[in-house]
Amino acid sequence: MIDQFAFLIAEGFKSFYRNKLASFLCVITIFINFSILGSLFVVGYNTSSLVDFFRSKYSFEIFLQNDVDQDVYTDFIDELSKNNIIASTELIDKEKSAAIFKEEFGEDVVDMLGYNPLPLSIKVFINEESFEFDQVDLLIESINTYDFVDEIEYRGRYIDDIEDRINLAIFLFLVFVIAIIFLSYQIISNTVNLSMTNRRDFIDILKYNGASGIFIKIPFYIESILYSVFGSVFSFLFVKYFFISFNKYFGVNVKLDDYLWLWIIGFSIFIGLYSSNQSMKRNMNE
Amino acid sequence: MVEFKNISFSYSKDSGVYDIDLKINESEFCFLVGPTGSGKSSLLKMIYFDILPSEGEIDVFGYNSQKTKKNSIHKLRKKIGVIFQDYKLLKQRTVYENIALPLHINGVGRKKIKYNVEEALELTDLLDYQDKYPDQLSGGEQQRVCIARAIVKNPELILADEPTGNLDPAAAHKILKILEQINKEGTTIIMATHNYKLISDRDYRIIELKAGSLVSS
Repeated sequence: MIDQFAFLIAEGFKSFYRNKLASFLCVITIFINFSILGSLFVVGYNTSSLVDFFRSKYSFEIFLQNDVDQDVYTDFIDELSKNNIIASTELIDKEKSAAIFKEEFGEDVVDMLGYNPLPLSIKVFINEESFEFDQVDLLIESINTYDFVDEIEYRGRYIDDIEDRINLAIFLFLVFVIAIIFLSYQIISNTVNLSMTNRRDFIDILKYNGASGIFIKIPFYIESILYSVFGSVFSFLFVKYFFISFNKYFGVNVKLDDYLWLWIIGFSIFIGLYSSNQSMKRNMNE
Repeated sequence: MVEFKNISFSYSKDSGVYDIDLKINESEFCFLVGPTGSGKSSLLKMIYFDILPSEGEIDVFGYNSQKTKKNSIHKLRKKIGVIFQDYKLLKQRTVYENIALPLHINGVGRKKIKYNVEEALELTDLLDYQDKYPDQLSGGEQQRVCIARAIVKNPELILADEPTGNLDPAAAHKILKILEQINKEGTTIIMATHNYKLISDRDYRIIELKAGSLVSS
C-alpha cells in the first residue's frame, strides 16, 4: 500500500516535470491570479477597519447661547452622556475656544477685540459600534429643540457616502474576484486536460491493466496540487512583501491577516483540485 | 470462463460482430482467425469490457456484461493480460518500468515487483534489455516486452491481439513459442491473428470469423 502510494506520488511529480512548459505557464498564471486575489483580500480585510476608523472620528459640535447657566449645560452634558449612541462628550469652554482660535488663526481673540466673543460648545463623539445615521439625525433634531442651543455643527452623512463608495468598490472587487477564480479554474482545467491528452497512452495502459478510476486520477490530482502550491506560495510571498514595502514607503498601516498564507494556498489548492476533477471527468467520460 | 451468449455489436452499418455464441474454457489456447475487419479485435475488446455488446451478454470469470457496474470493470481487468499489435509501450519508461506497471496497479511491494519482473524478463529473454527504452528495441523485442507486461501479474487469461502482425517470421515464431510456454503453466490464451501460415502446424482450437459472424469454432 505504501509502495503503491509512493508510486502515485512519484507519477504526479513526473507528470508535472514532463509537461515543463505547460506546468511553468500554469504556475505563472496561478501566481498572477492569486497575487491579484491576495491583494484584493488584503484590501477587503482593511476596508472594514477603514470604515471603523471614519466612524470613530465622527463627531458633531453643539454651540450654546452665550447666556447659558453652568447648571443648565452641566445637566445637559449629563443627559447626553446617558444616551447610548454617544461615546463621550467634551466641553469646550470660552478659554479653550480662544486657545483653539489662537492655534488655528495665530491671533489672540481677547487681545484683538478686548473681550471673548466665542461661545461655549460641547463636542459629541458617537459610539462607533451602535452607529446609525437615522439615530444621529433624531438625536440632533431633539438637541435642536433646547432653547439654550444656538447651533449644531454637523458634518452630515459623509460617512454614509464613503461607505456607499466602499460598498461599490467591494462589489466591483467581488466581480473581479469571481472573474479571476473562473480564469484560474479554466487554466488549471486546461493544463490538466493537456496533460491527460499527452498521457493518453499511459492512461490506457493503466486502464487495461485494471487500474481503478481513482488510481488513474491521483497523479493528475497531485499534478494540479503542485501547480496550485507553487503558484500560490509565490503569490503569497509577493503579496506579503508588496504590502510591507507599501506600508514602509507610504508610511501607512495596511494590516495583513495572520492566516493570509492559508487563505491563498488553501483556496488555490481547492480550485486546483476542483478544476482538475472536472477536467478528468470530461476526459474519462464519467 | 469466457462465454459469449448471442452477442452483437456494430460500429457502423457494415462493421461489427453479429450473433456470436461461443464458450472458451480454462487453460485453453485458441486462435481467433479471420481477415482484417472480421471482428477479431472487437471480440477481444468485449472480453475485457472495453466495448459492450448491444445485444446478448458476455460472462468472463463471473463478470456479466449486463450486470457489472462501470466502476467494477477494473477488477475483471486485473485478471486479464492484454497484448497489443502496436505494443502500447510507454516510450519514456525503461523496459523494467513498463513491465512493472501492472504490479504497481495491483499494489505489489517493491521486492515482489523486482522478483516478478525479473521472472517475466527471463521468460521473454529480455534480461539484458531491462534498462533500455522501447525506441532502442526492435519490433520483436518490443512485442516481447508487451508480453512480459501482460504476464507479470500472473493473469488467468491472456488476450493477444495480432501480436505477430508487425513481425518477421522468426520473431513471430518466437512470440508464439513464449505464449505456448505460458499456456503450459495453465494460463488461458486467446490469440487473434490473420497469419494462417504461422498457426497451421499447431493443433489448437481455431475460431474463425468472417464479416463479423462466426464461421467455425
